Amino acid sequence: MGYTFTLRTIYPYLGELAHAAALTLELSLLSIALSLIVGAGVAVLRRSRSRLLRALGTAYVEVMRNTPLLVILYIIYFAGPGMGVRLSSFAAAVIGLSLNSAGYMAEILRAGLIAVSTGQFEAADAQGFSRLQTFRYIIFPQVFRTIYAPLGNQIIAVILASSLASAVAVDEVTSWMQTTGSTSFRFFETFVVAAVVYLVLCQLVNLGRLALGRLLFRQGESAR
Amino acid sequence: MSPVLTLDGVVKRFGARTILDGISMTVSPGEIVCFVGPSGTGKSTLLRCVNGLEALQGGRINFEGRNVHENARSIADVRKRVGMIFQHFNLYPHLTALQNVMLAPVIVHKEPKALVEERARALFDKVRLSHRINAYPAQLSGGEQQRVAIARALAANPHLLMFDEPTSALDPETVGDVLAVMRDLALEGRTMLVVTHEIRFAVDVGTRMVFMDQGKIVEDSDPRDMLAHAKTERARQFLSSIRG
Amino acid sequence: MNPDWLAYAPLMLRAAGLTLWLSWLAMLIGAVGGTGVALLRTSRFRLLRLAALVYTEFFRSVPILIVMFFCYFGVPLVFGFDVSSFAAATIALALHASSTMSEVVRAGIESVGRGQWEAAQAAGMDRVQVMRYIVGPQAIRVVLPPSVGVFITTLKESSLASIIGFIELTKTGLLVRESTDGGLVPLLALAALYFIINYAISLVGGRLERRFHIGSRSDLVGAMG
Repeated sequence: MGYTFTLRTIYPYLGELAHAAALTLELSLLSIALSLIVGAGVAVLRRSRSRLLRALGTAYVEVMRNTPLLVILYIIYFAGPGMGVRLSSFAAAVIGLSLNSAGYMAEILRAGLIAVSTGQFEAADAQGFSRLQTFRYIIFPQVFRTIYAPLGNQIIAVILASSLASAVAVDEVTSWMQTTGSTSFRFFETFVVAAVVYLVLCQLVNLGRLALGRLLFRQGESAR
Repeated sequence: MSPVLTLDGVVKRFGARTILDGISMTVSPGEIVCFVGPSGTGKSTLLRCVNGLEALQGGRINFEGRNVHENARSIADVRKRVGMIFQHFNLYPHLTALQNVMLAPVIVHKEPKALVEERARALFDKVRLSHRINAYPAQLSGGEQQRVAIARALAANPHLLMFDEPTSALDPETVGDVLAVMRDLALEGRTMLVVTHEIRFAVDVGTRMVFMDQGKIVEDSDPRDMLAHAKTERARQFLSSIRG
Repeated sequence: MNPDWLAYAPLMLRAAGLTLWLSWLAMLIGAVGGTGVALLRTSRFRLLRLAALVYTEFFRSVPILIVMFFCYFGVPLVFGFDVSSFAAATIALALHASSTMSEVVRAGIESVGRGQWEAAQAAGMDRVQVMRYIVGPQAIRVVLPPSVGVFITTLKESSLASIIGFIELTKTGLLVRESTDGGLVPLLALAALYFIINYAISLVGGRLERRFHIGSRSDLVGAMG
């Protein structure tokens, strides 16, 4: 085999990697936050009493579930100038990632809401809690417990999806792998390093989720 | 003594079905009114109309002189003074028993936490569950959960207690525990509305039995009297079928 | 100047067919591979179980795009032989599909109760026979509905093949866009085509779910493609 794996060859490029990794993180965190907000809105739409609003919410989720993220990114990236707005690559990537992830967030939140029995709302009503109080003390804590694990998975999904931002000229980790690989011709090394970066990020999220979970949830085992 | 509760021609419909067909009655302080009758005849719905969980299509309900359904404010006021116990307990699963009991007085009634905790602990004594105050609902048996639910309703110092089939979802062994607590409350002189299939309880503890069928009050009298000499054929049929 | 969009329709449709072919091939390989990995995961040998676990965890924690890049650019460099963009895309897609499928198949196998194994083994069947005649057929009913979700995910991921130059649906759309002076119509048409194809497939999946009374869309979370 004429190729030997030598990590040393890409040491000069590790500085850029740090910058790229920071971008990946920024992209991911922003998109996660935004998609939660939009997703919450869509979830509310889907529980609305108006049939039109419900259909709109469902349509949103179905579009995001069935259309490739890459196509969505291209549409936003190229639509900007057309509408007279100068959209930076980063902004386009964040918007695309957020809108797409929001579809999945909406489903996660909806499942969380459905899991709360109607009796909870009744008991809270009967005790005189206001809408806000009911949500804050009774509904939200229960929803949070249900969505906790799927939320963690979705966060990981966003981190992995951020790699598509390389297609719209964002200098994140995947873009670094491509660029560094083509200049140094050390594709194996750049692949392994990039993979490690993503692996570490995902495992951190996983471990963080488990640790936080143990801290927050102490409901005890069922007696039955 | 002025009545605690007055129902005047109350009508409740779900779509095309009429569940309550002109209900009129009064409840005086200290009465223990037991509602009996076949399933689906509107007994639970009646209770839910009293505290505004259901809206009315006709008629009027007055609680302590005020129209319950006048506006959102009146409903909120009524809920502060009426306690409800549900068939399926509806305890808040993410809170301990103690927290369940303390939540509404602190958040809704805005009472100081220390005071509420003291009262809550006393209530746990009363329902004989002091050893379980830090347990979560999932760790409690059905009967224990229902007793916590009773403590939760009592914590708000209600003027009226409403029980919606409190023992229907319980194992036979634990039914007795819950009924015992309810008996204690009755002996204290509380005003209680109880929807139940436990005729024994109605006879032993109730001061009044109301037999409902198809959305109407068919008979309303002393439980012992109704059991021995029901005035209507339907009531007689129902009571004898339950006995069997 | 409005280009005659309809003239490009046959081109796009043919590209859609290519996308379906790519996804289908990758899915097939992924399903077979995934089943193999699932069997390794439930093997009696600790080393095999570990290997399968590492494999699955790796492909679930790494973006498919970098795998595709490595297959296309890295493999020729490292191993010396050429890899077409089609091959690279298929391999990358198949690797990812196989790791998801291994979990789906594993869940399917585990969903068949212990009692089935015991009854079959008590009747004298060996492990292979039990799998083939008793557990396998039952597991398939549990495996089929989520597999539809995996296929849809693979289809969405196939759009990434455009980045390494394979002329599937997305690449075709981009090329049409270039030759018509750049506009949104080709991109929107792309989105519509993907949506129609995937939505139709998901309806089939829903039918399967109802028929077998179990399962849920395995692409509910993650796998944003």
